[in-house]
Amino acid sequence: MRKPHRRATGGKPRENWYQLDLSGNVYPTLQSKRFSSVFRVGIVLKEAVDPAVLEQAFHMTLPRFPLMTSAIHKGLFWRYLEPNHAPLPPVREDIINPCMPMPFKSNNRYLIRLYYFENSFSLEIFHSLTDGTGALYFLRTLAAVYLRLKGYPIPDGCGVLDIHEPVPREELEDSYMRYARSRFRPKRAQEKAYRLRGTKEPFYTLNIVSGTLPTDRLLEVSGDFGVSVTEYLNSVLLFALMQEQKARRPFRELPLKIAMPVNLRRFFPSRTMRNFITMVYPSIDPRMGDYTFPEIVQQVHHYMRYYLNDKFLGADITTNAATRTNPVIRAVPLFIKDLFVRQFYIRIQDKQSSAGLTNLGTVDVPDEMRPHVDHFEILMGQPFSERTNCAVSTFGNQTVINFASSIVETDVEKFFFRKLVQDHIPVKIKSNRTMEVR
Amino acid sequence: MSYCVNCGVELDPSLTRCPLCNTPVINPNEMEPNLLPPFPYPQKRGQVDAVKRTDLALLISVVLIGTALTCGLLNLFIYRFGHWSFYVIGACAVLWIFCIPMLLYSRLSIYLSILLDALASALYIGIIAYDLPDSTWYIGLFVPVLLLALALLLAFVYTVRKICRSILSTATAFVIVCGLFCVGLELLIRRFFDARLYITWSSIVLSCCTIIAAALITVTVRSRLREAVRRRMHL
Repeated sequence: MRKPHRRATGGKPRENWYQLDLSGNVYPTLQSKRFSSVFRVGIVLKEAVDPAVLEQAFHMTLPRFPLMTSAIHKGLFWRYLEPNHAPLPPVREDIINPCMPMPFKSNNRYLIRLYYFENSFSLEIFHSLTDGTGALYFLRTLAAVYLRLKGYPIPDGCGVLDIHEPVPREELEDSYMRYARSRFRPKRAQEKAYRLRGTKEPFYTLNIVSGTLPTDRLLEVSGDFGVSVTEYLNSVLLFALMQEQKARRPFRELPLKIAMPVNLRRFFPSRTMRNFITMVYPSIDPRMGDYTFPEIVQQVHHYMRYYLNDKFLGADITTNAATRTNPVIRAVPLFIKDLFVRQFYIRIQDKQSSAGLTNLGTVDVPDEMRPHVDHFEILMGQPFSERTNCAVSTFGNQTVINFASSIVETDVEKFFFRKLVQDHIPVKIKSNRTMEVR
Repeated sequence: MSYCVNCGVELDPSLTRCPLCNTPVINPNEMEPNLLPPFPYPQKRGQVDAVKRTDLALLISVVLIGTALTCGLLNLFIYRFGHWSFYVIGACAVLWIFCIPMLLYSRLSIYLSILLDALASALYIGIIAYDLPDSTWYIGLFVPVLLLALALLLAFVYTVRKICRSILSTATAFVIVCGLFCVGLELLIRRFFDARLYITWSSIVLSCCTIIAAALITVTVRSRLREAVRRRMHL
């Protein structure tokens, strides 16, 4: 395996180990027997997957992404990543309950799993290693290597990396520390948001409701409202949450907020393959009055336009980075940090949003690869509390919206897809649910 | 191609009900259930990978065995007063048994694990009884109390795992078990001291537990009351 660079800017990768990036530090703290921050990216091909060839391609691709083969270890003050020299993980047959917890010491300490099922294969990654963008780079490169082994000439480029080139050091940097340069650290609002209440499913059950939409129609409808697809889908989700809250007839209504990860690579010239996201919270407050759907769309549109720029996002990551640079915090032993961070997450952070939505946008691949790919699928994974997470990916004229939750009720999904149908967007639904919804 | 009449979404041919609103899919042209197309998701259910903790188990075993052995030798050859090393050796044995389910055999049945823990406790208290001049209390009082606690604990665990579905029903089972244990404890104490078998202080505990359990059962059974309590008591 290729060794990390001796010196690099930003995240300080050292010989044979890496510091966890700013986001990556939080996810292991939340790790428990029942929960891991695992997400899934998958590709559906137009032909059946050969597991033996896939495993060969997997093992050929992994050395190009040294972070993907890292193991997480505990230090006295922080956790860190270390290259793992154990036998590479095998390819497994897919399961009905994806994104299961990933104990750090299992699976030869690898924090990555690859599954295959009929025409598709899916990658599950612990969030400390990378974010959705990094995972998609890995998946596309893996798919290209697989297709090459099957005899198709697939070139590099458009998200497919050259597996023979040396790993550029920019790909391993912690871009948070490089771009956390704001002279001002804004305080963040910490207001409780409405939270779903539902019946918990049995252990390790992840309910998926997947909707497939024609992208051209989605673009048309978003264009009619004068907003982007992400803004439109956020508005639909807020609308669905508003209806859900109203249906419950609460004694006191609460603001509705969506936790939406933003890919910071769009705003800062980073090539990192590690986490480089921050959260924004588009919201509406029904206590101020009832919102119509066009009002929600306008609210979300202006929120996004106001906050999504390098100044606001830079200030946001500077606030986050302060926890990493503060000498007092740095000197606190890890177990005490874990205690505080976990309590902070449970009592404050997790209560700040009603649902999660991520849009990885249009997935690009080389033209030669396009005829072999049907679509991509993203799953945000097991939510920390009783709520639903929504992940969107687009390939060609197919936009796939996957809802993942660990509760029996599907009210939010129902209101969400019904709204799309009301807006004349045809939706095709599939689900892994084997029990009846309530 | 079927659509949900409630939601208006197109449903995958494998679905017999709309996953959003539970409306059944009834297509008069396709009433034959055997013609259902394959389920679009895998059927296999995954299990979380087991974590190997044999290294830690080995380390703990070496430390405990080393401690027990050293203390035994010291007691035998250097500090020869009394049987003080029995306490240390017993404590090491108890700790080792407590660690088995966590380290060596994580899939050990919880019932067997509780049984082993009870045996370890009996062993340790037995060592203390052996070292004391009068040990009648061990057979006469401790063993029956331990058996009572063990039986109630096993019953409680079984109830929680098989019957209880909520915090309220678990709390009900816990309160009932506490009440029964206090009654059993008082009767066993009286039996040991050859006193008349009737209950005094434990009757008060039992009454309190019965009232609490009745209240909890009422809340559990009445769904409106349960929802009201949930709303008011949520953390």
